[in-house]
Amino acid sequence: MLEVKDLEVRYGRLTALRGVDLSIREGEIACIVGPNGAGKSTTLLAISSVLTPTAGSIIFDGTPIHGTRPEEVARMGISQVPEGRHIFTSLSVEENLQVGTATRSDKAEMKRDYDRVLETFPILGERRKQSAGKLSGGEQQMLAIGRALMTNPRFMTIDEPSLGLAPKIVDRVYEVLIDLREKRGLTLLIVEQSSERALKAADSLYVLRNGSIQLGGKAADLQDGKAVHKAYFGFSDDHEGEVMI
Amino acid sequence: MAFALQVLMNALSLGSLYALAALGIGLLFGVLKLINFAHGDFITVGAYALIVPSAATQATLLIGDFHPLILIPCIVVVVVILALIAEFLVFRPLRNASPATLMIGSFALGFVIQNILIMIYGGRPKAVGIWSDLSLGVELMPGVEVPKLQLIIIGVTLVLMVVLVLFLTKTKYGVHMRAAAEDFRMARMLGIEANRVIMLAVAISGMLAAAVSMLFVVQTGILDFRMGVSLMLFAFIATVIGGMGSLVGAVVGGFAVGAVSILLQTFLPSEMRVFRDVFVFAIVIFILLVRPQGLVMSRASRERV
Repeated sequence: MLEVKDLEVRYGRLTALRGVDLSIREGEIACIVGPNGAGKSTTLLAISSVLTPTAGSIIFDGTPIHGTRPEEVARMGISQVPEGRHIFTSLSVEENLQVGTATRSDKAEMKRDYDRVLETFPILGERRKQSAGKLSGGEQQMLAIGRALMTNPRFMTIDEPSLGLAPKIVDRVYEVLIDLREKRGLTLLIVEQSSERALKAADSLYVLRNGSIQLGGKAADLQDGKAVHKAYFGFSDDHEGEVMI
Repeated sequence: MAFALQVLMNALSLGSLYALAALGIGLLFGVLKLINFAHGDFITVGAYALIVPSAATQATLLIGDFHPLILIPCIVVVVVILALIAEFLVFRPLRNASPATLMIGSFALGFVIQNILIMIYGGRPKAVGIWSDLSLGVELMPGVEVPKLQLIIIGVTLVLMVVLVLFLTKTKYGVHMRAAAEDFRMARMLGIEANRVIMLAVAISGMLAAAVSMLFVVQTGILDFRMGVSLMLFAFIATVIGGMGSLVGAVVGGFAVGAVSILLQTFLPSEMRVFRDVFVFAIVIFILLVRPQGLVMSRASRERV
């Protein structure tokens, strides 16, 4: 569904990504893990065309999307829940969800998606009229996911869904994400710093460090953890068989 | 009592003009992060559009002679078109430039507009009597007479503010505009067309400028190619002390600056009145020292962590 080939992104003289390849199949949950500053968010922003790659290609369903505009990418069915969630705090919860429908005119289906989001996240329904800035961190994360869903995406990228959230809420968020794949056939690309949870949820896993993919493959093949550990840190730790990250 | 009411009406009507101009600036700042110093010149053009383009010292009304129901839309269209041309020729090519570059671009645009006005209409101020019967007084209560125009200015301002609020909160495009003003990149990632939102903001800002053009020129009866500049200056101050990025702040700031000006005008000893603006600016500096974020904190900057 999404083919990233030899992607390179630079911020001025700094090369943030080099030679990144990703191949994400329809209906799967793919995860990119890696330490801080590895280029995870950069990868997602390049997919959303917020950043323009200096080299390489991003093909979505056979159409090149690199170097287009973010609004076009959104229109094609790619939605992003960015790092820091970027909720519109001066808008109400309801209005935040409404902004998600910017590209759509299918009124009946919009209503259906709206009801679905409120069903998935009942708290958003209760706080419908409240200013989104007053929501707690977990509620904001749910709103960010709900808002992304309102674009009726086929492919959704999520940047660090567990960041700053209590473990219980993280569990709930992952439950919802897995459910979205099961019930709606949504393809997901999740970025996380820690590989533990990502390994559990993902079908395929990529380890990104220093701007390049160190390891990529089926999550089932990577369960033993040693290879992931080595790719993540750049050295293997023989005393610890477990992934401590 | 009667005197107090008179002063209040003066303050409200002057504050209204500043608030309307400040709203036009604030709206554009929201989505473009542009402080449009050409906004005052948009206001000037709206006023000049009333007369026949010529360098003659005596102004001949053109659009100004039309029935108000045709006149007002005509002026609005002129200013909106001017604002959209500015967007296409100046602001859009500078879209990825820094806010400072954009601001300087708007200064340049303002000078170009002023000089075009001088070329077409000449540099001398012209008297233009339009709807002069509006300056006749209305008796609010025994002993208190205010010009009809003051009531109209306050009324028009209230109506426009209500309409703007309804647009921003009740319509799809209004909600999009508020979203874009808070987080432009996120709005685009959700599929909101950047250029469409900006053009809409530019157009609405132009409409507000046209309203100020009309109210201002009817009040002063004079056309001057610099007439919008001082208005812009005070409106800009209003947005700054109100809190950059907050529309409520722009309105509060507008009324505050208007009130302070009128109060100084009324209560300063007559020989000091010429220095009124010095006192206004001194108060502005004081406010910025005490509350650098402005009187009304924009909601975007109050984000919950």
